[in-house]
Amino acid sequence: MDAGMDTITWYLLIATSMTVFGMVRLLLVRDMLARLIALDVTGIGVLVTLVALAARSESTDPVLQALVITGLVIAVAFTGLGAVLIRRIEGQHEDPPGGEQS
Amino acid sequence: MTWTQFSLGALVLLPMLGAAVAMLLPHRGRRVLGVGTAVVIAALTVPVLVTVTAGELTELVLGGFDAPLGIHLRGDGLAAVFLGATSLVGLILTSYAAVLPKSTGTYLSSTAWVPGHPGFWPLWLGCWSGLNAVYLSGDLFNLYVALELVGLTAVALVALGGRSSWEPALRYLFIAVLGSLMFLAGVGLLASVTGTLDLQQTRQALEELDDPTLSLLALTLMTMGLGMKIALLPMHRWLVPAHSSAPGVVSPILSGLVIKAALVVLLRCWLWAVPVLPGAEWLTWLLGGLGAAAVVIGSVLALRQDRLKPLVAYSTVAQIGYWFLAFPLLLPGENDDAALASGAYSAVIALALGHALAKAGLFTAAGFLKDRCGTDEIEALRGAGAHHPTLILAMGLCAVGLLGLPISLGFTGKWQLATAAVAAEHWWLILVLGAGTLLSAAYLLRGIAPLLMQAEVDDDAPAANPVTIRERVGEFAVLALGVATLATGLLGVWLSDLLEVGSWW
Repeated sequence: MDAGMDTITWYLLIATSMTVFGMVRLLLVRDMLARLIALDVTGIGVLVTLVALAARSESTDPVLQALVITGLVIAVAFTGLGAVLIRRIEGQHEDPPGGEQS
Repeated sequence: MTWTQFSLGALVLLPMLGAAVAMLLPHRGRRVLGVGTAVVIAALTVPVLVTVTAGELTELVLGGFDAPLGIHLRGDGLAAVFLGATSLVGLILTSYAAVLPKSTGTYLSSTAWVPGHPGFWPLWLGCWSGLNAVYLSGDLFNLYVALELVGLTAVALVALGGRSSWEPALRYLFIAVLGSLMFLAGVGLLASVTGTLDLQQTRQALEELDDPTLSLLALTLMTMGLGMKIALLPMHRWLVPAHSSAPGVVSPILSGLVIKAALVVLLRCWLWAVPVLPGAEWLTWLLGGLGAAAVVIGSVLALRQDRLKPLVAYSTVAQIGYWFLAFPLLLPGENDDAALASGAYSAVIALALGHALAKAGLFTAAGFLKDRCGTDEIEALRGAGAHHPTLILAMGLCAVGLLGLPISLGFTGKWQLATAAVAAEHWWLILVLGAGTLLSAAYLLRGIAPLLMQAEVDDDAPAANPVTIRERVGEFAVLALGVATLATGLLGVWLSDLLEVGSWW
């Protein structure tokens, strides 16, 4: 049991540092793509925390696992949306399309 | 299954279905479908309101799976009042967007930027579905999912505004997602000790817990995350570019409704999910202090704006402050007074509902003028009132609501807040309320008065172009919001009765 708790403590430490590093990077860096990736790292950090918390009991906690799976789906959604927006913003600098914008 | 239970399910699922169907239709069909869906949603809200007025709490357990695994929809007082306001504002704004498709953004066709974005309709219906789900959710998990649905569709709605709106939309995305990740971490922490996500079960489990540290940590995380999404003062910087660069009909949706979704989640966490914690006083005081700062700083920043939409957006930052002012009174601390807490609670709700109507109206009017004149610089709009008397009347009515003059809900809310503050002997709160009201009078005058001035420009100003029938109808939609701002002021007592149904005390 002791050894098991130790592994989980390690995972929790790693997850927390991932969350904190991701968040700090997100707030400090200016490049849009780097910010999106920092946000992803933060998200993964939070999800790993939840997985580690779910693994504490003998039988894995299904409620937390459901949260993690939904979190992953949402991470895919916001990464996609962010990537499209970044592509558009970068694209307008390189190749300004014709026509007036109202 | 009763009719009300059916409505609870349909209020969430019908707009979602509408969004999916709208994807398949051409632009004209989407507009018809959008208005049709809005009418049905408004009709479905009626049975919920009637049942809650009768003092009954309706619950729907989807698919018969019970908590902690199943999905609970709960139609209590808080859900009912926000459903009512959202249906009213949503119906009016949907009609406005259908009549004036120009207000839904611009898109790049093969050659040029074309006004009227067909993508508005599925996104708005999806957003509406998320809003209703936030109000009705009985568990933390669905609150998270629904909030995320609202957030992502809101970001996409901002991006409909064309080139200038993409960067604000991206910034909004970062903040909104970071906020919901913090909320998710808080939910996960709570679930790891309670083993459930249902609001009532969570509360029961937390009350049995001896050590409040973990609940406090989770509550702090959730509050910070939601504070970002509500745009409480130090985290407000994303709101102004996002709300002011969004298309004409999207800004009122964001300012009037989307922010309220995060507020509802915050109230559900503080009052329903987590019991009164001994160590939480500092957090309520911090929120109260930030709220006071938001009222003053937001109003001063609004005064310094030269353009109409950023002015209205900063006014939102200031109004958000009022809701947080009530937090120190909301939780009975040293003086165990339940009447005080319920007074502060109905004050927050009245202020939020009043803001939903008035700000939606004011932002729609600002967007209307921007769409029509091509600019929202206050100097350039000087004298526009001569051509749009209905619009200016509507703006005046909304301003009455934002100021909190009788007989609007804003007045009811400020009155209840002041009463609670006097009862609790928090005199500083009265000072903030007074200063906020005076400052808001100043910035609203600064925004609206130039529209009424005699125009120095001649007749070829854009505002002097002949007004089309469609634009007249759009103006009446804004007027409807203005009238609703005042008319709902008469409902104060009914509102307090509604809020008692299924409340936490």
